[in-house]
Amino acid sequence: MSSQLFEKVRGITADILEVSPDQITPQSSSENIETWDSVHHLNLILAFEQEFGIQLEPEEIDHMNNVERITTILAQKLNHHG
Amino acid sequence: MAIAIQPYTADLIPAVKAFNQRLRAGGIPLEFHFPENNIPQWLPKVEDRRLYQEYYLAVDGDSVRGGFILKFQDFFLDARLQPVVYYHLPVSEGIVSKAYAGVGAHMLRSALKLQPMLFALGMGGFDRPLPQMLKAMGWSLWAVPFYFRVNHPSKFLREIEPLRRSRSRLLLARLAARTGLGWAGVKLVNAVRTKHWWLAETSFAEFETFTDADNELWQKCRRHYKLIAARDCQTLNILYPPKRNFLSIKVSRDGQPIGWVVMLDTQMRDNKYFGNLRLGSIVDCLALPEDAWAVIYAAKNFLEKRGVDLTITNQSHAAWCGALESAGFLQAQSNFIFAASKPLAELLRPFQDNQNQVLLNRGDGDGPVNL
Repeated sequence: MSSQLFEKVRGITADILEVSPDQITPQSSSENIETWDSVHHLNLILAFEQEFGIQLEPEEIDHMNNVERITTILAQKLNHHG
Repeated sequence: MAIAIQPYTADLIPAVKAFNQRLRAGGIPLEFHFPENNIPQWLPKVEDRRLYQEYYLAVDGDSVRGGFILKFQDFFLDARLQPVVYYHLPVSEGIVSKAYAGVGAHMLRSALKLQPMLFALGMGGFDRPLPQMLKAMGWSLWAVPFYFRVNHPSKFLREIEPLRRSRSRLLLARLAARTGLGWAGVKLVNAVRTKHWWLAETSFAEFETFTDADNELWQKCRRHYKLIAARDCQTLNILYPPKRNFLSIKVSRDGQPIGWVVMLDTQMRDNKYFGNLRLGSIVDCLALPEDAWAVIYAAKNFLEKRGVDLTITNQSHAAWCGALESAGFLQAQSNFIFAASKPLAELLRPFQDNQNQVLLNRGDGDGPVNL
């Protein structure tokens, strides 16, 4: 996974979930971060879309409940968009 | 496997039942479970009727992880036909299992793809998860004003839930009820706030079924509201069928109908808001804005004569709010929220300025549930 992309994802995730960036690892997910609920999940999606200038499909949204998957999906989207 | 949003078909009933069992195990009350029949009991799709509901599910292999309902109906925007779809009962497994935290957002995005002209109504307050998500998605929200009028002060003071929430308030309320101070206070408020209009020329009568004659009133009225759901007689007879609990009266002046109102008279039992009060609700109504006061007065008098302890209503339009205030109703905090998707809010621009030009009440959305 691109470390630059991961660091961006980590920063945004920490900001939206109101936790320290140190607490965000590739294994961080909605199941182990207490503040990561439905509302915050949507806010994460919207933040990524705004940051990277992309539109995520509904089918991608519920896969993105884990930082590693988020980074992978975003990488694919960004590569696809060149 | 990716979660797919699809129409609710009969083969998915067992999966919905299992979904509801997981919700129940997670402590979610029955009112938030998804229907266990794929054909809506209320407003099923019938032939070419334009008022109907459709159920959608979030399907994950053999399991269901969520669902939502779309209600299709005609509205009139600036007197022109505008189909608008009501998004309601979105429920996702994310509320009991954080592994599914993304399902809610997935369903909302999918619903918007299916029907961009969406609204939501009710939702229990701005601080609830759904309004927060809608706001994050760029929807526009406002609270539809809530009004109440106390008819039996002592009982009101003993039973109304917000007064029971703190020990000090409960003691004060009981003291007011026992000493008669509360009774006197409420009666004084009612007397001071009720403006007594000259009503000699108006009368009202109960009825069961809307007729073609009511379409004339509908045709006249719809031009006077920025946005209003269709209230022709066919639609109204579907929404308020006879042999249900609805109480309907027609208000006339000099023998000519000027409006109607649909009400409920419900004995509450251990209700979280109304305790054991006998609750009168003004559910739905229609008149020209200048006749709103006559209809509200008729409804108030009708329910008071029946002996309700408290009369409540939610009304958005300025004329109806003014009529309620003239009839001695007080306004309180509303948790009945109207939310419009971006395309719908664009049609209502400027959104905040137009909110009191729109006719919305408890007859809209999913109807007078919980009343």
